[in-house]
Amino acid sequence: MVLVYKSEFYALYQNDIERCYFLDFGHKTIKFSFCQLLALRHKINSISITDHFDSSVNKHGFEVLTLCNKSHLFVFNTLEILDLNQLIQQSLLAVGISIPCNSVACVY
Amino acid sequence: MKDIARQRMSISVETMDLLNNQIKMEAHASASYLAMASWCDQNAFTQSAAFFYNQSVEERSHMMKIFQFVNDCGGSAISPAVGQTNHDFSSLEEVFETALEQEIQVTKSIHNIVNECKKNNDYNVENFLQWFIVEQLEEEKTMRDILDMFDLIGRDGIALKMIDERVTISEGGGETE
Repeated sequence: MVLVYKSEFYALYQNDIERCYFLDFGHKTIKFSFCQLLALRHKINSISITDHFDSSVNKHGFEVLTLCNKSHLFVFNTLEILDLNQLIQQSLLAVGISIPCNSVACVY
Repeated sequence: MKDIARQRMSISVETMDLLNNQIKMEAHASASYLAMASWCDQNAFTQSAAFFYNQSVEERSHMMKIFQFVNDCGGSAISPAVGQTNHDFSSLEEVFETALEQEIQVTKSIHNIVNECKKNNDYNVENFLQWFIVEQLEEEKTMRDILDMFDLIGRDGIALKMIDERVTISEGGGETE
């Protein structure tokens, strides 16, 4: 397996034989297809991080995410969400499917 | 290291985001036209209502075209949530003016995506969007022609009735694909 990108808490690896990715969450490593990785990106992009700083909207600052077609359930805090976002962004850049943000009119 | 991501998807994630945004815009346009059709129906502009019902279907077909393209490219098309749509209009002219304004926004958005595709050498998407550029030109022209009728015929009771009848004669027939 080849390391694609390592953030502070997580790491993404590519497996050429199985043509998939493995995301190391520290205590657990999960296999992701490319589509599942895109789905994770969409879920993270849909999170309003500003709500984490407004106790009337998100009282405890946690996010509950189900991953890989509801096969796994994770609870993330604010820092972990930001780190996961960083990991996905940088990983997609590393695998050449994303363009640096300053050259594109970002919609998020 | 194999290029698995490229094997799976032939567009960049940023282009995918822009297309998903366009899907949302087309869905909103479809809902907006439905609201306009409803207003026309309620105010006895039956031909204009038929025209907007048809426009609503057409916008949805545009949305589906982009939706399927994103998935065909290996991307992840997102089913859009449509927010608030305006149901309040003060006149038939305002309805068509809003429709033209909406079409202009859609055109601008498509041009923006094409512009980004040119910058990033995204030839597939650029080629795919050429059809939309021509289509938007026609859509804007249709609305502009109808708005011209208000200047030519007038804005009073009988004039409005005449315009309503002409919307079907001059535009409605050619709209169905």
